[in-house]
Amino acid sequence: MTRAEIDDLLARHNAGTTTPAEQRQLEGLLESGAIGLEDLETLHPWQEALDQLPAPTPSMNLDDAFYQLLTEEKRNARPAASDSFTWSWLWPRLAFTAAVLVAGMAAGYFLRTPPPGPASSDQLAALSQEVTDLRETMMLTLLEKESAAERLKAVSLTQEMDQASQKVTQALLQTLNTDDNVNVRLAALDALRPYAGQPSVREALIHAIAKQDSPLVQVALAELMQSIQAKSSVRELQKLLDSDKTPGDVKKKIEETIQILI
Amino acid sequence: MTDEMLMKAVKDGDLQQASLLFERYNKRIFNFLAYLASDRVLAEDLTQNVFLRVIRYRTSYREGARFEGWIYQISRNVLADHYQGQKRHRSQFIDVENMSDTLPDNTDAAERDEKEHLLQRAMARLTEEQRQLLVLTRFQHRKYEEVAQIMNTTVANIKVKVHRAIGQLREHYFTLEKI
Repeated sequence: MTRAEIDDLLARHNAGTTTPAEQRQLEGLLESGAIGLEDLETLHPWQEALDQLPAPTPSMNLDDAFYQLLTEEKRNARPAASDSFTWSWLWPRLAFTAAVLVAGMAAGYFLRTPPPGPASSDQLAALSQEVTDLRETMMLTLLEKESAAERLKAVSLTQEMDQASQKVTQALLQTLNTDDNVNVRLAALDALRPYAGQPSVREALIHAIAKQDSPLVQVALAELMQSIQAKSSVRELQKLLDSDKTPGDVKKKIEETIQILI
Repeated sequence: MTDEMLMKAVKDGDLQQASLLFERYNKRIFNFLAYLASDRVLAEDLTQNVFLRVIRYRTSYREGARFEGWIYQISRNVLADHYQGQKRHRSQFIDVENMSDTLPDNTDAAERDEKEHLLQRAMARLTEEQRQLLVLTRFQHRKYEEVAQIMNTTVANIKVKVHRAIGQLREHYFTLEKI
């Protein structure tokens, strides 16, 4: 078909006067790439109408359910099974399982307990661990979000933890050193305060001094060094003091801190 | 990090990275499934299932393959499995009266624009494949190349199918308008 014939066919299609045979011809042209969907003007109002239909969005339940699922999957994750499955691999495990089962039944028989009462301390501990794991997973994920509000929420989650794991304190330290938002960095520093007694955290906090460019965080770190009596931080504080970039007020605070520490 | 890098990490056992993929894709997959299943609560369950499969079947992810195509393929499988499980495959017709109550956020039937309502009902009369095509190309603004990959066909074929789907949509719309 010549270009003129194609244009003529398109014009008739757009006017709604094509025959079924011509419609098939148009589809052939569409398939061959001779024309595009944008050439078919009759489609435009429908495409626009579809574009305007409201888009459904998920509720927060989806988030909650996913993070719970992720925590469970992480806990259940085991090294992948060996490709070379053999009875010699399975047999000792089956034997062990059977032995444990028999032992369990025997123990159950001899150590029968009264009817079920309140949950045992083991169950409670397991449940508590599950909640902690869930919080940890959520916290680590929220820290990756673009929104500063979400990252602040992540940091605040650590305050609900009885004892933050090393993974959590490492994530907080990284936030303190690299987050773009000053408020998030300050919150991370605040969240790290209870763990400043741990040697690794203490050392990382001292190293964080040189990495800060915000006067607020610099002052907050100086105050923390003072409160935990981190004498080994003097060298890092001195670097800030010597830097031309450090504001006068901050220098004053650092001078005071150094005087107290030495 | 690209989706593919994240998925490789998940495949290698770093399950935490799945949360980033979830953040990037959960709304899109939910939206896709909500339009197709026409039920928000069900769509949330199905979306959850999609991510469960991403994690559980992580070892089946072929390194280098586009993650987007893979997760949409899983979504389509999850939906198909759901219909099969329910033994009430709605590939031809959806319960349009229920659909309009469950789909959009502004679901006040009295105030709903008549045209929009008719359009949704017309959509519901399309085949499953046609609905998937329109959801991907129109609602989700996916490129024809991406849709072709997701639907495992050629770009040319997708364009013809979109043309036919909109033609069908128009027919259903005018038929419903006369009722």
